[in-house]
Amino acid sequence: MSLSVALGPDTRAGTQTGTASSTDVLTAPDIPWNLVVWNDPVNLMSYVSYVFRSYFGYSEAKANKLMLEVHKKGRSIVAHGGKEQVEQHAVAMHGYGLWATVEKATGGDGSTGSGKGKGKRG
Amino acid sequence: MAKAFKYGRKGITGQLEPAERELLRSLFDDVISMLEPDMRVNEDPLAALVGLDMQAREPTDRALRRLLPNVMKNDAEASLEFRRLTERSLRESKVGALKAAALGLDKDELVLTPADARHWSTALNDVRLVLAERLDIRDDADAGHVHLMQDWSQAEDVESYLALVYNFTTWLQESLVQAMLHSLEPRR
Repeated sequence: MSLSVALGPDTRAGTQTGTASSTDVLTAPDIPWNLVVWNDPVNLMSYVSYVFRSYFGYSEAKANKLMLEVHKKGRSIVAHGGKEQVEQHAVAMHGYGLWATVEKATGGDGSTGSGKGKGKRG
Repeated sequence: MAKAFKYGRKGITGQLEPAERELLRSLFDDVISMLEPDMRVNEDPLAALVGLDMQAREPTDRALRRLLPNVMKNDAEASLEFRRLTERSLRESKVGALKAAALGLDKDELVLTPADARHWSTALNDVRLVLAERLDIRDDADAGHVHLMQDWSQAEDVESYLALVYNFTTWLQESLVQAMLHSLEPRR
């Protein structure tokens, strides 16, 4: 899981014919990630709201709005940032017992770096 | 009968009957025993020290999976990698909160510091998550159905007993969280 930055002009001098198999996903710190909290029938609405207020420091209004979004829409993006940051939030949410996951902010997954190399390789 | 938690000059206070304290103690203990990491024989002590667990796997037990969920929805491999780095300390912090809450069960009257209250609220939440899995609460309708069970004289099988216990812990957590929310308000 390392960064896959565009390789230099001399791509792997291997004998493999064809495609450079870079399946790595771009995970540079500047690519935004979302922290998603999911609805479940157990967590109390008051508790979810309390967690959003006390952990993220959100106002009562913002915490309630996010909590209601979780409740009504099934999920809500409650924070975003670098990957490590939202992962840290996710662990904290799991500590509180909320069901949270992280996901890349942009809808597009994968298709690494295509269109980046300006057709260097003939 | 327990008294609802409230927020006042002494902080957050509550009151429990001896039977209720016994019940909570056994619930906290049950969840602690689910979460306590197994002692492994051939473990790298340094890895354990920094909280790594290279043998961690997604739990097969549903309740445990709810307490220790995957960090990514559709990427089992990345979730597993993350789990190996973080699950042990997550288990430890949950066990720590449950033990701290259990320690407060020695007296009828509970007087909670802000840290105690946080431990209590997460401990009760984890207990409820486990009970909800055992009761098969999958959606709001299931939860509503369980909620109807309020009369202890109706407890005739394990499921109705669990439902009553679930409702008691729900009531207790709700009253605690209301008191905690109250404590966030600026004092007049």
